[in-house]
Amino acid sequence: MKLQVNGKEHEHTGDGTVAALVHEVGATPEHTALTVNGSVIPSAEWTQAKLNDGDQVEILTFVGGG
Amino acid sequence: MKNEKQPLLLGNREFHSRLILGTGKFSDTKTMIQAIEASGTELVTVALRRFNPDKPDDDLCTPLAELKGVQLMPNTSGAMNAAEAVRAAQLGRELSGSSFVKVEIHPNPHHLMPDPIETYAAAKELAADGFTVLPYIPADPVLAKKLEDAGCAAVMPLGAAIGSGGGLSTADMIKLIIRDSTIPVIVDAGLRAPSEAARAMEMGCDAVLVNSAVAAAANPAGMAQAFALGVETGFAARQAGLMPKSDIAVASSPLTSFLN
Repeated sequence: MKLQVNGKEHEHTGDGTVAALVHEVGATPEHTALTVNGSVIPSAEWTQAKLNDGDQVEILTFVGGG
Repeated sequence: MKNEKQPLLLGNREFHSRLILGTGKFSDTKTMIQAIEASGTELVTVALRRFNPDKPDDDLCTPLAELKGVQLMPNTSGAMNAAEAVRAAQLGRELSGSSFVKVEIHPNPHHLMPDPIETYAAAKELAADGFTVLPYIPADPVLAKKLEDAGCAAVMPLGAAIGSGGGLSTADMIKLIIRDSTIPVIVDAGLRAPSEAARAMEMGCDAVLVNSAVAAAANPAGMAQAFALGVETGFAARQAGLMPKSDIAVASSPLTSFLN
């Protein structure tokens, strides 16, 4: 399915869950937070949360900041 | 010298260091960690950014998790309005596992002055949702009091523009905030020298937050330690009670009965 991940088009080939997408892009799950279409999806729900074609996903992590 | 008997209370956590350190602008992660350790801080800010698979080393979670006794405080930098800041705070809570959030909303990149209206709206909503909210604000005593009433854990007025090194240019306004505040007042942004941190503490501030002053110093760890000393010195001086000021000289040696 086609997703928008961090502003770029992304072809997802996994099982369509948020957990599969996080694994697919190579992010470390415990260092990652994300939104789907603007809503925060808690990590406890990732294995159940299903993605849909066209979803906009933002995958975020901590960087240095003041 | 530690101020063991007078810890800083933010939310439900006590801090024995009154220096808060930002983690931006450091040349590399190792330098940042050394500065955090040298500062003795127990509270550091972090920012949220998009995960970049080409730069996995940008991730700070691993090195910061190895620091014992250091609380992470995600900020909401990049948020242009209250709704974005609330979402950033929720994401930060997911990642940090704690309720601490530094609310900062500064949409204008030229001066980075905090938007007081959006900041108030976000802070009020987040405080009601159980966050420990520390908003970065203009040095405005009216806004500071309203944020206190909204349930913020502290207010963080700016000393000068972010990253400017302009010092305590808002000192008179910060004094007004301190006078009326019943929550901690933390100077955030603009400081350049440890003497300014000491002055802020002497004035009655409860803590100081610095980032650029340490990260952009020739020796960040050395400067972090110097700021820790500045904060401790200023706080100790305030506890000791500064002498009254006088417009005229007051002799410290006897002026009478000499060779009479």
